[in-house]
Amino acid sequence: MKKISPARLSQLLFLLLFLVLFVQTEYRGSDQLAAAVNSFFRADPLVAVTVLLAEKTMVWLVLPGLLLLGLSLVLGRFFCGWVCPLGTILDLVTPRIRKRGALPLLKGNLKYWLLLPLLGAALFDVNLAGLLDPLALLVRGLTFFFYPLFGDSARQVWVGLYRLLGDNRDYLAPGYALLRDHLLPFRETFYPLALLSTLLLVLIIVLERYESRNWCRNLCPLGTLLGIAARFSPLVRRPAGLCADCGACRQLCPTTFDQELLQREECILCLECQRRCPAQRVTFGFGRRPAGEPVFLQRRVLLGGLVSGFFLARVFRFRSPAAQARLLRPPGVTDEQRFLQSCVRCGECMKVCLKSALYPAIFESGAEGLYTPHLIPRLGYCEYNCTLCGQVCPTGAIPALPVEEKRRQVIGKAVFDKNQCLPFAKKTNCIVCEEHCPIPQKAIRSRTVAETTDDGRSVRLQVPYVVTELCNGCGICENVCPLEGKAGIEVFAVNDRSPLPAGGEPPPGGGEEGDPYGGAG
Amino acid sequence: MDRRSFLKGIGVASLLAEGLVRRLFAREIPVVAVSRDKDYRRAAVRAVDLLGGMKRFVKPGDVVVIKPNMGWDRTPAQAANTHPLVVRGLAEEALRVGAKKVKVFDRTCNDERRCYVQSGIAAALSGLDRVELKFIENERFHPVAIKGGTLKSWELYGEALSADVFINVPVAKHHGLTRLSLGLKNVMGVMGGNRGSIHRHIGPALADINSVLKSHLTVIDATRVLTAHGPQGGDPADVKVLDTVVASADIVAADAYATTLFGLKPEEIEVTVAAYRRGLGEMNLRRVRVVRG
Repeated sequence: MKKISPARLSQLLFLLLFLVLFVQTEYRGSDQLAAAVNSFFRADPLVAVTVLLAEKTMVWLVLPGLLLLGLSLVLGRFFCGWVCPLGTILDLVTPRIRKRGALPLLKGNLKYWLLLPLLGAALFDVNLAGLLDPLALLVRGLTFFFYPLFGDSARQVWVGLYRLLGDNRDYLAPGYALLRDHLLPFRETFYPLALLSTLLLVLIIVLERYESRNWCRNLCPLGTLLGIAARFSPLVRRPAGLCADCGACRQLCPTTFDQELLQREECILCLECQRRCPAQRVTFGFGRRPAGEPVFLQRRVLLGGLVSGFFLARVFRFRSPAAQARLLRPPGVTDEQRFLQSCVRCGECMKVCLKSALYPAIFESGAEGLYTPHLIPRLGYCEYNCTLCGQVCPTGAIPALPVEEKRRQVIGKAVFDKNQCLPFAKKTNCIVCEEHCPIPQKAIRSRTVAETTDDGRSVRLQVPYVVTELCNGCGICENVCPLEGKAGIEVFAVNDRSPLPAGGEPPPGGGEEGDPYGGAG
Repeated sequence: MDRRSFLKGIGVASLLAEGLVRRLFAREIPVVAVSRDKDYRRAAVRAVDLLGGMKRFVKPGDVVVIKPNMGWDRTPAQAANTHPLVVRGLAEEALRVGAKKVKVFDRTCNDERRCYVQSGIAAALSGLDRVELKFIENERFHPVAIKGGTLKSWELYGEALSADVFINVPVAKHHGLTRLSLGLKNVMGVMGGNRGSIHRHIGPALADINSVLKSHLTVIDATRVLTAHGPQGGDPADVKVLDTVVASADIVAADAYATTLFGLKPEEIEVTVAAYRRGLGEMNLRRVRVVRG
């Protein structure tokens, strides 16, 4: 067996860590998730830079990303060769794909034309980095497509076993419970944009037909950003170019030696050239950068990129008013503009949402809101005591709040549709919405009235109404409304999302000290 | 009297007597046990003891289902769910008299994982051998035909139907529509499908479900009760501590008695009346024997 290189070992460990954290991004019986679950995004320099550009103030959550960028200024683009899980996946599949030669289209300044508009848009208050961030692409592909598919397949087998074995299936139940509790998604949620998310990942892999690490060297905006940092790195390879008598590096190198000289902004420091140099000539060490490196960023690319960023941020502002009215953001998001500045569209909140209430926006918030999370109450609701989305958000776009505060966050306001709602439309009792309303003082109440039905019977009818001042727009009423299809009560977005007053709430902890079974908190 | 006629006499008498006993048994007035204790586990066990003990309901080798109300993401102090110690006490008793397995589940209203944890029941049952706290699995719902009811048929939970003994363990609390939520209402937790839709005729509908899914034993947790903003509550101001557990083999009688704890009359509760009319039990408390301990 071939001896495994240190870079490959590190890649595999980080890929494993990435997958473990991905699976751990789920409620597993404790209200608090390990802070580590979103650490890949917190350490993502592209996320850090775009959030800071957009917010124009220090966001401490993204400090690890800045540190990694600083480290790349010293060591170069090691992240791509040692850490990035998408890069690792490409390295794992690329030897099995026959190469056809580089696509000229992807060469040149294309990668800067991707990165710079993203930075420009961020500067003009819209953070689109997540659209092309490799970690976000990977997490979304996993969250929206592969993980639900995996969970659904496993469950179908489990359900099939029940049809086959009936109650005898219970002998296998402990095994399934183990899988369900530690590996599978608790419930399979199917997402819009699952197809697009997968297609992008597939496309990145298909690009490997043309050259290895094609995405990484020609497109990836994170890689490009790190490449710019690598330009300043004092870590250099000797010799800087191909040796006249050998040239084996051209075959060994996955990213950069398609030209004579090592392209420092593309070298991912896998050290294959050093490890496998037939003459053992290659060394890496700190020193002076070799002369004669080409200018890597022309002024017109820089300016053009930033200007197109401005257009990206401004021009795609069309929003359908109907969709806007139902654009419910996760709890704690009070300002749409600030949200678009800091949301990296990583999909973590949607992955972790306990009741599968969060879905990626397609065009609900305009083209600039693609992939940003919004709540669809008919499919899921915001669980009153759950704070997971705020916990996993890497940039604080969804603020991490203590549970007492989160309960008071206003997502929207519920409104009855009297043409649908049973007591109004059919004069029959229902009030399932009131029953489920989690606000202790009830934001949905009912008054009892004597009514005559359309066929002449007199009935005592409980007619519901919304106490708007108490409604936090969690959406459970719309979710549980027993009407088919459209609900008789719906949550609409509101501009004023200031939190409900604290007075209406029970004291923290509900006074259950000393109760041995008081739950996990 | 010769020997032959003596024996004849004995034979006839014994036949008669047996019929008499059977008829007496059938007409036996329902017993409701009421136990007060600050130790809720002891209160639950004693209530069952007053009915003749768990061995009257559970035979060795039985599969027992305990169906608490753990439908809400609320803590025990908030009184929306059955108290974990009541559930634990009953599970231990069932094991003690030889139950092969005790299954505990509920189709929850909030996220099931949170409900099981937050209700305290997951913690209370952990470490008990042969006790399974299970999540509802949709494939286990089977349509059950209902004769002469409002609902013609409904999907009910297989593991509840197939249990040897079904122990219904509701928490007594206020409910916006039915005024109170007690034993008869608690069986909603084994209903599949769009169960919210039965709210439009909830009394007869719940009587229907209780007519096909019989509770062998009903233990009502009134250790602390929600007096307003039910069934979910959340405000400690709505909780009243009663330290009481009510048990009966007659679910209607148990519900009828528990109603009085709220200062209400059984005939004021539509669900109880519907079940009584359906012949599921006795709601007239004058025809019920209440034993206390």
